[in-house]
Amino acid sequence: MIMDASRPLLQGKGITKRFGGLTALSGVDFHVERGEILGLIGPNGSGKTTLFNVISGLLRPEEGRLSFHGRDITNLAPHKRARLGIGRTFQIVRPLATMTVAQNVATAVLYGREGIAGFREAEERAHYILSFTGLSEKADRLPSELGLGERKRLEIARALALHPEIILLDEVFAGLNPAEISQAIDLTFRIKEAFGATIFMIEHVMKAVMGTCSRIIVLNFGTKIAEGSPREVASHPEVISAYLGAAYAGN
Amino acid sequence: MKKVPLIMAVLTVAVLALFPLLRPEVYYLSFLFTLFMYVVLSSSWNVIGGYAGYLSFGHAAFFGIGAFATAKMATAFSLSPLLTILSSIPAGLLAALVALIVGYPCLRIRGPYFSVVTICFAFVVDLAVKNIEELGGAEGLWMTFMDLPEETSRAIMYEVMLLLMVVTLATVYLLGRSRFGRGLTAVRTDEEVAETMAIPTAKLKIQAFVVSAFFPGVAGGLFAYYLSYIHPDAVFSINISILIVLMAMFGGGGTWLGPIVGAVILTVVNEGLSTFAQAEIARIIYGALFIIVTIFMPDGIIAYFRRWATAQRKA
Ligand SMILES: Nc1ncnc2c1ncn2[C@@H]1O[C@H](COP(=O)(O)OP(=O)(O)O)[C@@H](O)[C@H]1O
Ligand SMILES: [Mg+2]
Repeated sequence: MIMDASRPLLQGKGITKRFGGLTALSGVDFHVERGEILGLIGPNGSGKTTLFNVISGLLRPEEGRLSFHGRDITNLAPHKRARLGIGRTFQIVRPLATMTVAQNVATAVLYGREGIAGFREAEERAHYILSFTGLSEKADRLPSELGLGERKRLEIARALALHPEIILLDEVFAGLNPAEISQAIDLTFRIKEAFGATIFMIEHVMKAVMGTCSRIIVLNFGTKIAEGSPREVASHPEVISAYLGAAYAGN
Repeated sequence: MKKVPLIMAVLTVAVLALFPLLRPEVYYLSFLFTLFMYVVLSSSWNVIGGYAGYLSFGHAAFFGIGAFATAKMATAFSLSPLLTILSSIPAGLLAALVALIVGYPCLRIRGPYFSVVTICFAFVVDLAVKNIEELGGAEGLWMTFMDLPEETSRAIMYEVMLLLMVVTLATVYLLGRSRFGRGLTAVRTDEEVAETMAIPTAKLKIQAFVVSAFFPGVAGGLFAYYLSYIHPDAVFSINISILIVLMAMFGGGGTWLGPIVGAVILTVVNEGLSTFAQAEIARIIYGALFIIVTIFMPDGIIAYFRRWATAQRKA
């Protein structure tokens, strides 16, 4: 693959995704730069998860193109995108219930970008990732025995097992208590440092977004309404009315 | 395998291999031949049905394809007994090839729809064979069996089927413990998540389907020669397809030991039923067994008794 430093790591142009009559994404343009922590925010149902599904290939957009390292990946199968280095977590956690925590992670190592085919080596790698995400003690448990915070970390661990270039984090802070949120913020920074991964994160917890992201994209009803630094976005009038306004109104 | 189970497995195979030297009645050789065959069928089925979770209800088709392939080769080329036995390998390859072609579109369909499609596939193959003049049409094909005393010829076929069973079980065992096996477990559990873990699910499913068709194809070839007469109804019957699934699920699908235990128990039951009960009654009993297993022992009889044993210990 041609590595072109001048091109964004990941780029989407005019992404449109419809579900029957509902337009979940409408002509969304975005790009992710290598090494950044990019945030994606917006009210519930604004199309954030749908965008991640399009990027990871679980959904095909009706219109628009996606490129990774400048290479068109619009029609690439999801497993090939994962193999190229696009890892993701699921907002509603989806651990492989038939496998232990360690097996969940080791299986991703076996098929991931690292190219480790031996079981012992894969297990060692998995244990490193589990200790990195604070799950060492739960290695031999089944996912059903984990608490929500731990299951969210398992999602992250499994994505990291691919050794992704970019990791898509879908609300990994949701439902966590303040102490866990601080841990998760810390983990986000450590992922960037230890794995050299670029981070694209959907987040509802404002503290987490403002404190971690260098840049933020805002969606509303499937349309990008703002993009910029946390401060710029927070003071954007349309964002305040659409997103923050809705949140304040809810409080 | 750990040391003790491995030694037990080797001992079991050794005892079985030496059994014909005791000059048992042909009936017992014949019964064990059938039992080994069903172990082959249900253990192979387990690769796609148990490991990958794609419940094929048309596996008799692969068995029948192998049977007719060997029967046709043996009669067309007047093959010697040894070559006829060996022809079951290309017969298995033909079954695998058919699985490759059929699997490509079928394995995109998930859940019960896949099962329905595989049932239809078996019907279509059955119908096609009945309408092909060269395959004997509705009459079937006759083959000449080896010109040896019955005890000897049956003992030879017994050993060959035993060998096929050992090869099948070793293959299925190693696959289950490999990266491939892990991938299939992921496919069974959540195919979409498996994709996001960089697992090429479509490719794995096809490979699993091909493997699960190959051994039944070989078994079919040996079975055809063993009977020396092959008729579509004898090999393409939906009863065989259901029996294969039932054996695997009864013992415990997705585990290595499950289909073996299931095949042993149900072959014994089958033998009893065919001696003491009418075919209709046998079918009713199978139906009832199937319902009981799915409701009360969804993980199979091994897991069921393991849980029961644990409960006893705690009590
Ligand atoms: N698979 C789907 N089928 C039909 N509608 C969907 C599907 N996924 C999402 N939607 C709809 O698309 C819209 C955007 O959903 P989503 O991307 O999950 O929003 P967010 O993650 O921003 O809360 C919602 O109205 C949702 O109901
Ligand atoms: Mg969402």
